[in-house]
Amino acid sequence: MPYDRWLLPEGVEEILPPEAGWLEALRRRVLDRLQAWGYELVAPPLVEHLEALLTGMGRDLDLQTFKLTDPRSGRLLGVRADMTPQVARIDAHRLHRDAPTRLCYIGTVLHSHAATPGGSRSPLQLGAELYGHDGVESDAEIICLMSDILTLAGVKPLCLDIGHIGIFRGLARKAGLDPDREMELFLLLQRKAAPEIMESARAWRLPASVRGMLLALTGLNGGGAVLGRARRQLRGAGAEVMHALEDLRRIAGLLKRRLPAVTLHIDLAELRGYHYHTGVMFAAYHPGEGQALAWGGRYDNIGRVFGRARPATGFSLDLLRLLRRRKPPRAAGRCILAPPAATDAALHEMIAALRRRGTRVIMDLPGRRNGADETGCTHRLVRRRGGWRVVKL
Amino acid sequence: MNRLHDGKTLTLAVSKGRILDEALPLLARIGVRPLQDPARSRKLILDTSRPELRLVIIRAQDVPTYVEHGAAEAGIAGRDVLMEYESGELYEPLDLGIARCRLVVAGRDHAPAARPRVATKYPNVTRAYYAARGEQPEIIKLYGSMELAPLAGLADRIVDLVDTGRTLRENGLVEIATIADISARLIVNKAAMKVKHAAVRRLIAQLRGAVRPRARD
Repeated sequence: MPYDRWLLPEGVEEILPPEAGWLEALRRRVLDRLQAWGYELVAPPLVEHLEALLTGMGRDLDLQTFKLTDPRSGRLLGVRADMTPQVARIDAHRLHRDAPTRLCYIGTVLHSHAATPGGSRSPLQLGAELYGHDGVESDAEIICLMSDILTLAGVKPLCLDIGHIGIFRGLARKAGLDPDREMELFLLLQRKAAPEIMESARAWRLPASVRGMLLALTGLNGGGAVLGRARRQLRGAGAEVMHALEDLRRIAGLLKRRLPAVTLHIDLAELRGYHYHTGVMFAAYHPGEGQALAWGGRYDNIGRVFGRARPATGFSLDLLRLLRRRKPPRAAGRCILAPPAATDAALHEMIAALRRRGTRVIMDLPGRRNGADETGCTHRLVRRRGGWRVVKL
Repeated sequence: MNRLHDGKTLTLAVSKGRILDEALPLLARIGVRPLQDPARSRKLILDTSRPELRLVIIRAQDVPTYVEHGAAEAGIAGRDVLMEYESGELYEPLDLGIARCRLVVAGRDHAPAARPRVATKYPNVTRAYYAARGEQPEIIKLYGSMELAPLAGLADRIVDLVDTGRTLRENGLVEIATIADISARLIVNKAAMKVKHAAVRRLIAQLRGAVRPRARD
């Protein structure tokens, strides 16, 4: 139908002035800051062979990925829905470094389904990954970097939520759950659906001690005191769980010292990205936002499918969401309207000099009358005493 | 976007009708009374006797949407609505034990149909229920008066809420299977649980206390 030809697909957006200008300014500041932390920029491709994008990443990412056929090879291509596996492939196969490697990236990704009703299907993903170090120090570095970037983008106050996949994995092992039931328990824990967790644990005939620990998990959230409570309530859960709690205690200690202004929240039942995470997981929240603004965690095994398993930790966010919640910056500064002088060499030299200094100069076009209004200019170039002068409008 | 940024104020989304009627006594027990009578007032946002808590009164199907987006930090929604909403982006920490009923499959008789046509307000729940049994029904989404669909020849089965079962009987339908026991749940926005942790936890604990004595009746 002719009248809807100009509509964009659902969840796909374009950015117009002045937001597009603000976005670019924000993008530059954020990338400069990432560089200042020693993270090198990589630019992975928009499409790749589907196997490369999806291997080891679980079914969710498969369903989120747009697919097309390459007419030259007949092979299936995917439009990236997440840049993290691409950057992991670059680390594993292109760089071949043994030293810790710090990489960052920014690019549009495409999702078949929006994460929330009415949300975007084309986020502008920005992220940073640290490969080659296994330990709480690299997790803490990534969390501090994420907080620095969010603060730079004006997110204040900031609340960090931290959890650890080892607690759920250890408890599921302790309970002897098969993969189907582990998945069911994971979904119930994501909703903290205590009534149904009890129902299922009884139906699966789990011992009372394990049932008690699973139920306790839904209540193990809050400030730093949660970790002490967890050590008591999960005492019989095994070494994997205790090890995870110790990791969390050390990270919480590091963060408290390095990020005194940030509220730290611990949630042992939060399992975002459980399919590929192997350690600490975290997300950043702001009181005015119903959803997390950035998230990440440790995913040590992702490189294995590319033939080179390296410890890895990282975060990502949607820069467009940060843009949306920002107050518009002050007016763009002065803009000078120059007359449509085709032959005046002195005028051209003056305009070129102004532009070299970064001042906006718009040359009026012949036959237009209200040039200054149309262009939003604040100043005008006028001829005075034989030379050209900038005067306020 | 949420207008409340102070870390203490909470908005509770409740749906009109039976859930609101049965939630009000529960809320009264934790000292929350609407300052205007929700039955008379046309206001959609109601202040309560506790200044840090307000109610928004909306349609049942909209409660999870409001809470997921953070337009309300918490809400009260039927398990039927939550099962249909299928997002996983909400916390459901507490069964309030109110507005109890059942979600059932009903039809004119038990005669099997190869590919049944099922009329329902709950297409997602219906699809999942039949899929678990290896069946793929033709789903017809309707918005009300499900009982009419089999009588009018529109569907072989309906999937709908049943309380006493009287409407089914009066329309010559029989219950074929129960999909789930339904009651209202407290739901909580994920970000609010972290950012307004103390206030949210207090609300959950108080409501848990208010629910318990009744469960023993």
